[in-house]
Amino acid sequence: MEHHVDPDTAEDRQTDQRPVRRTGFLPIRTNWFDRLFVGIYLFVALELFWMRFLEQSIPLTVCHVLAIALGVLIVWRG
Amino acid sequence: MRSNTVGWLMLAPTIAILAVFGIAPFIYVLYVAFHHWNPFGADPLMTYNGANNFRRLVFDREFLLSIAVTIKFAFFAVVSEIILGYLLAQLFMREFPGRGLFRTVHTLPLIVAPIVVGSVWRLMTTPSIGIIPYLLKTWFGYDLNIGRDAGAAFLLTVIMDIWHWTPLVTLTLLAALLSLPKEPFEQAQIDGANRWQIFWHITLPMIRPAILATVFIRLMDALRTVDEVWMLTSGGPGAATRYVGLHIWKIVFPKTDYGYGAAISVIVLYLTLVMCWLLYVALVAPRQKKEAE
Repeated sequence: MEHHVDPDTAEDRQTDQRPVRRTGFLPIRTNWFDRLFVGIYLFVALELFWMRFLEQSIPLTVCHVLAIALGVLIVWRG
Repeated sequence: MRSNTVGWLMLAPTIAILAVFGIAPFIYVLYVAFHHWNPFGADPLMTYNGANNFRRLVFDREFLLSIAVTIKFAFFAVVSEIILGYLLAQLFMREFPGRGLFRTVHTLPLIVAPIVVGSVWRLMTTPSIGIIPYLLKTWFGYDLNIGRDAGAAFLLTVIMDIWHWTPLVTLTLLAALLSLPKEPFEQAQIDGANRWQIFWHITLPMIRPAILATVFIRLMDALRTVDEVWMLTSGGPGAATRYVGLHIWKIVFPKTDYGYGAAISVIVLYLTLVMCWLLYVALVAPRQKKEAE
């Protein structure tokens, strides 16, 4: 049986090396780099918030742990 | 040679320039941001001080105020420029006498250096010699003095920015409008759609990428504005127009506090990226959702 291959589709498949986009709990479709970007945004935001409002009562190390955990969660499930 | 290798070789000069002039300075600024460094102070050596510069800036009232004023400035300037730019682009789509001349004159502010724009507006708004206070006094009895009136000073910086950068928005949106196909508009007219429906359901979705790109460019520019405002108001009266770029300048140059200035610069870059990303999500997410349905 002759196997037909659409040359355009085959070429697209070979050249399309863009990262896979998917939908997680974030409101948009993302690839791993988008999620890493969002993770870094939130890491910085959390650190600044902690320094401003919480550092007097809870040490910044707790924030580091939470922020890294959040970053990993976003890259993994976001 | 594989096409991938050729591609990387062709990109190599751009990547090298980006690395030398973009990434390396950024890494250096990031490095300085974690140090205390005042080369003209009592202790000129660069010493590591952890996150203390960032700890200092979240409590710095002047910095927080400058961020708030800058965001307010960027919002009013960019929104006005997009609306005015779109209306002017629509005007230039029509035939009228002197259209070519008007289009040329309209784009002239773009080729004027920001520092010159600031100087010209300073001359035009200086009480007793400026044309604007004179006309406002003669026609409306309003006494304009941007050295005293904080609201007027803020408004004038916004108007100056609109005057300077609306032509850029007009040109971008005009290019987008000229590239649109005619068929959807003709079909909509045959189906009885009114002008508002055509604008909202056809024109706006089709030029959305151009609007998005223009908003990003203008937002980033507005958030780092320095020279125009420096010439017009020098950040005053008080801190009414002390935008964050001016604030950084005052920390780095007169005070020579390089470490703290670098920390503020990093946070401003961070805020700019966050705002652009949020804007991107707000504009792109609904379309993705609609496509998924």
